[in-house]
Amino acid sequence: MNLFATVASPTGLALGVVVGIVPLVLSAYYRQWRAGLLGALACIMAGFGCGLIGGLPMMVVACAVVISYAYVNRQDPFTSRAALSEVSFEETRREAFMRWMANLGTNVRAGLNALMRNKSGFIGFCGIMFFVIVTVFGPLFIEYEGRARLDRRQPGARSLLAGPSSEHPLGLDWQGRDVLSHMVYGGQRLILTSLAAGLFATILAVVLGSAAALLGRYVDSLITTIANFILTIPSFPLLLVIASIIKFDDSFALALLFAALNWPVLMRAVRAQVLSLRERDYVEAAIALDLGLWHIISREVFPNMISYIAVNYIFTVRVAMYSIVGLVFLGLVPLVEPDWGVMIFMGRQQGVLANPLAAGMLLSPVVAIALFQLSLVLFTRSLEEVFNPRLRSGL
Amino acid sequence: MSTPLLELRDVYRSFEKDRVTIPVLQDINLAVHENEILCIVGESGCGKTTTGKIIAGLNDPSSGSVLIRGRERATFTKEEQSKLRREFQIVHQDPFASLNPAHTIEQILSFPLKRHKLVSDRASLRRRIWELLTLVDLTPPGDIVNKYPHQLSGGQRQRVSIARALTVQPRLIVADEAVSMVDVSIRVGILKMLHQLRAEFGMSIVFITHDLALAKYFAWEGRIAVMYLGRIVEIGRTPDVIGNPAHPYTRALLAAVPEADPDITRRKQPMRLRSDDIPKLTAIPRGCAFHPRCPFFVPGTCDHDVPTLAPSAEHPQEFACTPLQQEGSLQPYAT
Repeated sequence: MNLFATVASPTGLALGVVVGIVPLVLSAYYRQWRAGLLGALACIMAGFGCGLIGGLPMMVVACAVVISYAYVNRQDPFTSRAALSEVSFEETRREAFMRWMANLGTNVRAGLNALMRNKSGFIGFCGIMFFVIVTVFGPLFIEYEGRARLDRRQPGARSLLAGPSSEHPLGLDWQGRDVLSHMVYGGQRLILTSLAAGLFATILAVVLGSAAALLGRYVDSLITTIANFILTIPSFPLLLVIASIIKFDDSFALALLFAALNWPVLMRAVRAQVLSLRERDYVEAAIALDLGLWHIISREVFPNMISYIAVNYIFTVRVAMYSIVGLVFLGLVPLVEPDWGVMIFMGRQQGVLANPLAAGMLLSPVVAIALFQLSLVLFTRSLEEVFNPRLRSGL
Repeated sequence: MSTPLLELRDVYRSFEKDRVTIPVLQDINLAVHENEILCIVGESGCGKTTTGKIIAGLNDPSSGSVLIRGRERATFTKEEQSKLRREFQIVHQDPFASLNPAHTIEQILSFPLKRHKLVSDRASLRRRIWELLTLVDLTPPGDIVNKYPHQLSGGQRQRVSIARALTVQPRLIVADEAVSMVDVSIRVGILKMLHQLRAEFGMSIVFITHDLALAKYFAWEGRIAVMYLGRIVEIGRTPDVIGNPAHPYTRALLAAVPEADPDITRRKQPMRLRSDDIPKLTAIPRGCAFHPRCPFFVPGTCDHDVPTLAPSAEHPQEFACTPLQQEGSLQPYAT
């Protein structure tokens, strides 16, 4: 079972169109066409990419954005300049719901604005979106060429490598297959595995780091000792050794293994952050107000670390991607086509690294991986602005 | 006299640092009554903040007891303690650090209101937030609710922090240097507001400051406790302590307060201390901790016995100075 499979099917498209109708209708009602159209588009993409899990929340968000545009001039008594004696906060359930939606929409818009304010961050965001769109929508337009055109073992076989042509913009690989189709299909697994590996490592780091900082004493020394122990081992060579012993058919298992070896650095940073944040006056005030431990962790400490964690998550994804490509390049992970890493591996395997005709087959995945990495790094610039209210409000 | 709201009895508090025990508080005996103002004055590092935290229930004494309405705090059950905790609130010194930068003012005020179910529905929550902001003179409240702390001035933030303390309807507020980081021009406004709130809700206020002039202004109807190196050296009604200080340290502090009138300030004779160095907490002088600096030092007495707090004929307030208690007057120490 592939846990990361996306819907990416006509069903998903239909689902996206159905949920996309809602913001569109809403925008017709409020005469906010632009927001409605973009919202419908976002719904279709989300529904197509992740099915119901993506479609429904995207619908809610898109509707919220439309409503927030419509409500922009509506006066809420709560933020009016009236005196206490002359306002009424009574409202119907419908009004309360609409206000909640408008608030959500305003926050989403503020986040998007923050995302776009930083130029390099926005370029990074566009780069990531480019790869996501190509990976999700590409298969609709380009058919995957998995079968070799010619069996090399047959007598008279020759290399079918070819440079770019109008029919095959990126050329043909050594088996005579279209490189472009491999590029379109080959990113999904790598990107999702890296995202998952980064996610697992970050979750491990945040949970263990917070536990070490908040529980202290034996828990702290135990976790820190384990972390230091893992830090002393060079993680990539260890990954190589483990991967050569255990067969990783499943990208899920590979992601978990990466996480198990790469949590310590971030864990130490999170621990230091929590140690510093928990001494803040506002945490003490929350203790005096008896708001509870869970509130203190989730509402007082965590929101102040989220941008830091998000940035580190992206960097971990970056490292994970290189590690996985490295493993594939060395042939230590079962080779499953189509995959960008496998394309490079095949180039090495077939001894065509110096063949100019193999440029399309070799450079395409290399450039794609490098560009994706660059996009990730640039994107972190924006993340900081999205999560920090001080930067978000543009002060 | 009625049972005090809160009483510290023989409180001793020490901290461990690098395996050295630092006694921060020693023999603290203190009572705060309902609706009373108590000022704790002293220089930085004298233990006044630790005292405030023990009063607010954020810190526990190493030994000694804290009595709430006559009952020891440690004997309360867990549920009672969490309720008790809400009755004692603290307003911090630094308004930039005491509000979470990630939340709007509305969120900051609604967390305690929601958590303790102090409001029934959304409309009353919003009304209550408006009421609280009006109480602390942040008007119109509609301009404030959606702002983040960094969009407010220091004074406004301090008012929000007071409003947050008021959400749980406390019986006592510890104001830990609450106005020392606020611009001088708006200090008096905040102090007046605290006075009004005390009158309106019948709360007690423990006002911690290093500024005797502020203490005099704020606690004129209340009491002042002067602390030096972890001990209370003088405590009594404000007019007694300010008008006729007994302990040499209080006298030195008062002599150093600048007056608004420059002529008076120029004519004022600052008290000559024998040393300007404050001893370290790790090496507190034997006997009266103030004796190495005291201009009225009596060898053999001051550096031998720890003085106890007691009033005298001329001084109705309690003070800890053995020569003054025994002789009734102080003689300058001749070197």
